Amino acid sequence: MVYTQKSSALFIIGLAMLAIWYTADAGLLSGYIEHLGGEKYKYLPELITIPIYFGILSVVIGAWQWFGSHKEGHWDYYSSTVAGAMFILFIAMLVRWFVAPEVAVISTGMGEVGDTGKHLHKLLGLNYVVLGILAGIIVVNFFKVPEWAANGVRLSRLGLKTGVILLGTLYSAAELKNLGGLSIVMIGFFVLGSVGMVLWLGSRMKIPNSMGGVLSAGMGVCGVSATVASAPVVQAKSVEIAYTIGTILLWGVGCMFVFPIIGNLLGMSYVQFGAWAGTGILNSAQVAGAALAYQPDGIETLKVAEIFNITRVLVLPIIVLWLAVWYVRREENVTHQVNVGTVIFEKFPVFVIGFILMFALSTTGIFAPPNHYKGKFFGNTAETGFKDEKLLKGDQIATLQSESGSVQRADRKEALQRLIDNGKVMTIEDDDTLRGLANAKVMSKDANKILKGAHKAVRHTAKKVKAFRKWITWLFAFGLVGLGMQITVSSMRQAGGQPAVIGGIVGFIKAALSLVVVMMLISETI
Amino acid sequence: MSDQEEKYDRGSALSIFGSDRKEDFIALILALAVALYVYVSN
Repeated sequence: MVYTQKSSALFIIGLAMLAIWYTADAGLLSGYIEHLGGEKYKYLPELITIPIYFGILSVVIGAWQWFGSHKEGHWDYYSSTVAGAMFILFIAMLVRWFVAPEVAVISTGMGEVGDTGKHLHKLLGLNYVVLGILAGIIVVNFFKVPEWAANGVRLSRLGLKTGVILLGTLYSAAELKNLGGLSIVMIGFFVLGSVGMVLWLGSRMKIPNSMGGVLSAGMGVCGVSATVASAPVVQAKSVEIAYTIGTILLWGVGCMFVFPIIGNLLGMSYVQFGAWAGTGILNSAQVAGAALAYQPDGIETLKVAEIFNITRVLVLPIIVLWLAVWYVRREENVTHQVNVGTVIFEKFPVFVIGFILMFALSTTGIFAPPNHYKGKFFGNTAETGFKDEKLLKGDQIATLQSESGSVQRADRKEALQRLIDNGKVMTIEDDDTLRGLANAKVMSKDANKILKGAHKAVRHTAKKVKAFRKWITWLFAFGLVGLGMQITVSSMRQAGGQPAVIGGIVGFIKAALSLVVVMMLISETI
Repeated sequence: MSDQEEKYDRGSALSIFGSDRKEDFIALILALAVALYVYVSN
């Protein structure tokens, strides 16, 4: 089979990318950029760099695909993916640079929604992540993915996995220690609870043990990979695997859009939302989608969510063992013995080990200064990057002074006083404490804004960390638009009757309970 | 998804690779390549 299509599409996409680069670089877009926010529009540096590289690549490979002759083989198979990959990337570019900012302009023009204090696009999370996934869903369900792009769309999961592995470079040991402890407790409780509940509901509703087993792993652990890993131990049939994946997709897609709206309505902090998404949403890609939808221009939420998600994947071997024992006890006619150890070894996702490897590399300090925290290092002197114009002004100090009475915790009170006395954050510990204070939302919006400004003035992002963030953002944007292109109505219909009901009940209870636990246990940044 | 599966004689409807393990390893190699590029160029 020859995969490369003789089509002009990739060549045209390349020309369109080059046109974006040229018009932005020559200043021809300045009027439109002014309309999209002027100085607040932050994508200009991307507009004048990214499209030229991918534009040239697309034009060259596109010309070869259009005019060249193609024969069956490895080169044909792998090079044919370029057209689809560039198609996804082009959509991601358009959505990130133009569609999402335009939606924000329209929404801002409509005014705030009721007494929420937020504009519609903020409330619904209509940012480039959500709009990118929606664009993918619209393309596949209304227009169908073009033949020339079909092979490349199957690269989207690779993009997400690469993004997750690279995310390992952005954690510090302190963060992982703090988040790790919390995530182990929460994930342990919710994973075991959901698996147990699906198995119990399954036996009450009299669905086959193989169906209940595979559905419990999918609903409890991490969606599709857990489904595939547990299928052999419960001897699940293909149709049961399809039902489970359909149920996870149906529930997960809903969560991906609804979670950020609830998070916005409740005013959740990044850590709270990340912990909730990482616990309550089933599939890794959808966890990333919801986290980025909640915080599209930063990755703090994504980092928290992924720690929870990875902790969940690490529980997979325990669940496979549990299901193996459970299934053998319940089924009298187990047709063949399955080696559980082999299943775990063969199906355990290697990208999780990659994440840990990247984290280990980053802790050696090769990507950022050794004292970095959340990708940034502390510096409050001129030698370490502090600028004197960033000292707090008199009116800002007065605001903080007037609200300091509302702060109860002694450590926060002391750190705040030191900030007021010196006009800048004095130590890295004070900075962490004051960040916690801002995220706890104890003081007014204005005061929190001042605290955030004081924090930014003493935190400097290492160049390598900045570069990693860019790569991760684009890999996720690419993966999520492609993910949208794989969400078809027909694949969601596969959820079927009873599995969808059980999945819905367990998914809802898990999401609601984890929300309550997160709101009770986590009150600030970690 | 099943209607798409027949379209490809290699990989699956969700991936161009024959197995999840292979996709994971390729993701790992890509991530290491990006890390090396970032390390060298910044």
